[in-house]
Amino acid sequence: MKTIRDKILNHPYLTMGVILLVTVFFFNQIKEKGRMETDLDKYMPHNHPAFVYSDQAEEMFDIKDGIIIAIEHPESIYNPETLQKVKDITKALQKMDEIHKADVTSLYTADNIVGTEDGMDVKAFYKRVPKAEKLDAMRQGVAGNDMVAGRLVSVDETVAVIIARIDDDVFTQDFYRAIIDLGESFEGPEKVYVAGSPIVEGTMALLGPADMKRMVPVVVLAILLVLIGVLRSLKSTIFTFLVVAISSIWTFGLMAVVGIPTYAVSTMIPVMLIAIGVADGIHFYSHLGIFMRKNPGADKLTAVKDMLNGMWKPVVMTSITTAVGFVSLLTSQVYPIKYFGLFTAFGVLVAMFLTLVLIPAGIMAFNLPKLRIKDNQESTHDSSVAEKFSAGLLSQKRLTWLITLGLVIMSLWGINKVWINSSFLDKFEADSDIVQTDAFINAKFGGTSTINVILETEANGTFKQSDVLELVDEMQDDVESYDMVGSSFALTDYLKRMNMVMNEDKESHNTIPEDEELNAQYLLLYEMSGDPENLWKVTDYDYRRLNVTFQVKSDNSKVINEVLDRIEVYRQPLADMGVELNYAGSGYKALIFTDLILEGQIMSLALSLVIIVALLSFMFGSIKAGIVGSFPIVITALIGFGVLGIFNIPLNTTTALLSSITIGIGIDYAVHFLDRYRLNRRKGLTLEKAISETMDHSGRAIVFNAVVVIAGFLVLLASVFPPNRALGALVSLNMFISFVGTLTIMVLLIVKSGIFSQNDRGVK
Amino acid sequence: MKNLKLISMILILGGTLFGQQPSGLEIIEKTYNRPSSKTLEANLSMILENSRGDQRVREIKQFTKDFKGVEKKLMVFLKPSDVKNTTFMNWSFDDGSEDQWIYLPALKKIKRISSDSDSDYFMGSDFTYDDLGDRHPAEDTHKLIGEETIDGYDCYVVESIPLDEEYMYSKTVTWIIKDKWIGYKKEFYDEDEDFLKRLSLVKYDEFGEIIVLTEVKMENVQNGHSTIMRLSDVVVDKTIADNMFTERMMKRGIR
Repeated sequence: MKTIRDKILNHPYLTMGVILLVTVFFFNQIKEKGRMETDLDKYMPHNHPAFVYSDQAEEMFDIKDGIIIAIEHPESIYNPETLQKVKDITKALQKMDEIHKADVTSLYTADNIVGTEDGMDVKAFYKRVPKAEKLDAMRQGVAGNDMVAGRLVSVDETVAVIIARIDDDVFTQDFYRAIIDLGESFEGPEKVYVAGSPIVEGTMALLGPADMKRMVPVVVLAILLVLIGVLRSLKSTIFTFLVVAISSIWTFGLMAVVGIPTYAVSTMIPVMLIAIGVADGIHFYSHLGIFMRKNPGADKLTAVKDMLNGMWKPVVMTSITTAVGFVSLLTSQVYPIKYFGLFTAFGVLVAMFLTLVLIPAGIMAFNLPKLRIKDNQESTHDSSVAEKFSAGLLSQKRLTWLITLGLVIMSLWGINKVWINSSFLDKFEADSDIVQTDAFINAKFGGTSTINVILETEANGTFKQSDVLELVDEMQDDVESYDMVGSSFALTDYLKRMNMVMNEDKESHNTIPEDEELNAQYLLLYEMSGDPENLWKVTDYDYRRLNVTFQVKSDNSKVINEVLDRIEVYRQPLADMGVELNYAGSGYKALIFTDLILEGQIMSLALSLVIIVALLSFMFGSIKAGIVGSFPIVITALIGFGVLGIFNIPLNTTTALLSSITIGIGIDYAVHFLDRYRLNRRKGLTLEKAISETMDHSGRAIVFNAVVVIAGFLVLLASVFPPNRALGALVSLNMFISFVGTLTIMVLLIVKSGIFSQNDRGVK
Repeated sequence: MKNLKLISMILILGGTLFGQQPSGLEIIEKTYNRPSSKTLEANLSMILENSRGDQRVREIKQFTKDFKGVEKKLMVFLKPSDVKNTTFMNWSFDDGSEDQWIYLPALKKIKRISSDSDSDYFMGSDFTYDDLGDRHPAEDTHKLIGEETIDGYDCYVVESIPLDEEYMYSKTVTWIIKDKWIGYKKEFYDEDEDFLKRLSLVKYDEFGEIIVLTEVKMENVQNGHSTIMRLSDVVVDKTIADNMFTERMMKRGIR
């Protein structure tokens, strides 16, 4: 080790040159091979049973997410111009490569099942736009048809929608742009709105990274400024920052080399590396500063050697424990999260390596940071602050314990209220266009979110049986009575409609026929006169499976779960008839997916806690030390989740992942403090003196580190994209709790447990 | 006349064409212009299959008779059992218009049904009403694009492009067996000129001079659906009473 160290110190330019070359290599790899994975479907664990089932059902019933284009006329859509636009938009969508012709639905394409004096007719509402005098007949036809009114034309007749269902894998930025442009080109005097879950996801995929691109430079600037403030040296600041920047480049470079795309969660890697990576540099420079103050005349080689000797161990220890914490994310069932864990771990180790190599080389090449006299004065001031703080802490043990206990109890209470929200829409500002459009369409139509209930039996023809169909119809009515459910659609709706039109349009026959054979004959009739493909979206050839679609006015998980609860009421009655109930569709999958992420997150937190206790116990040669050292993590995790519950901030994929940062940071603080404290005790300092000195040395660096990262991430509060704001707030909060927890309650635990005291020598 | 001919799949052997290379139009006209049988009675099995291989089978008894200016057809469902005795009657007039009735035994009522256009699919099959009818040669421009021997049959290959640009197909290509003047294979291209469907002849039977295509298969290559129409117990030119094709008969059903 020593010879490598000496070689590096003797050839600082060569060292930096090699690092630069590697960085350039990785940078080129990113440029050449790096690619973003924006297709959300790629995130899904497709081998999970719920996903396997849903995917099958989606294929069977051709269930797809729909883009909704709504056209609003201030008075009524029943005028030649608006109807022409409905037709033109329909045709334009049908011509797009990404959309199958048959997947576009509007008043123009809809089948109109009507009763005639002597029979039934299935026809289009219009082919050519009707003349003015015929508009009223058309209007009445729509109003009297439950299968169209409120679904394709709003009940107040001011809005018509064109729905284009698209496959999971066709959504691109260009396509998104094309749809938005298409909508805009039909504006005036009508207003045109574009909505639907693909659009929401698309906007998010566009807005999130765009906002990040804007905010990252500001965050970096803030961190640089605060770094200068605490390190008091431009040189030190630059090198500390280079460690973070280069480790990010190497990490993304490695991703490009091994051919793993950048997922949305991977954009969190630099966030993690900033929070964790600057710590190493700060501890190094902080140590160096203290040495230089104590030994004003020392030359740079001596100073660097002292820095390396004093700090390599804690830096290696913190990095390894942090990396292990992230590797534990491999337990997740979600591949992007596995990769996130793995590559963040790699990044953390690169940051460690760079701290050990680049920072010393930098000092050798560009000399020691200058120390101003003013600093000397302040340093004595700092020491006294540390001393006073230590003394105060030790004399107020009871108070500290009480506050901690209070916080823990509050957090436990809060954790009970934590809920998960897989909603995409809730990620936007309440007054943003996309939320407003969604609300508008939800007010006029059934709902922009969809839940598919798949019913299945063993016996062919079950879903021609009147009693089964009546139960399904009852379920539809019952669930629809919840005001967040706008409408539902199933085979029952076809049968009720046909029964009515075949019986002189009498509302009293808007029911499921009692005769099973009549159901079969109606369905045959529909096949003969309508588009039978429509039937295979709600049932199958053997009438063994049924797809019941509910339109819900929100994608918020609380609402979705409420709807599911109402559906669940029918699980047993259906089972009594031999019918099994399952769910499908993207909304349901998103719900499961978020649960999976959280479950994986909690699993990995628990696992990494165990590993970390073991690692710390091994490193410090004492199980007690292992437990004491992991305490800040536990506190941070508890309070972190507790705050979410108390302030009613739902967990989502981003916020859930953030708990990983808890480990990374919490463990760093603890290890630095413990390592320094052990050293001080070995030197023979008394408990009080050792704590006070550790406070001054490690405590100072911990405060610096916390201040830098908190300042940087607080900047994100100015972001226009709510998830990025949440990110800023939560990283700051986690940093804050970690540092306060380490410097207060962990210190008291050290005292209480008596680790590293003369009596407790442990294993060397 | 539109619906009868192909659904009954009666194509009558035309006279042999002398002369070496007939034009596309001549070939199509030879195939089209044949004297047809007056009546046809048969059992029709419609086998519908989707892309997953799920199958549905319908058994239908059908009667067809050629009247002056109108072709009448009665179809009585035998299977599946829940639609047994459901009866469908179709009058197809020479001017292209159609009248259709359905009798639902469970409802005990006869209802008129109407269908929007010839591009609608017939009973959920892969055949449109238009595919089942005889398309008049003058509705397309025909071009002989080659001769091919497939499965041992020497065929003319004729490309037909509709004069009506709004027609549901942009192009069809037909393989016509040389000395029999029956279509062996036909390919349909959709409005966007993409290959849509393939019709193939599986089996034909000769009744004296009359050839009946007793099994044909239509495959939609875009959605993976296919339909097989198989005729059995075919009786050609048997006397069928005129009153077979009335509402009264629909209600009574066949015994």
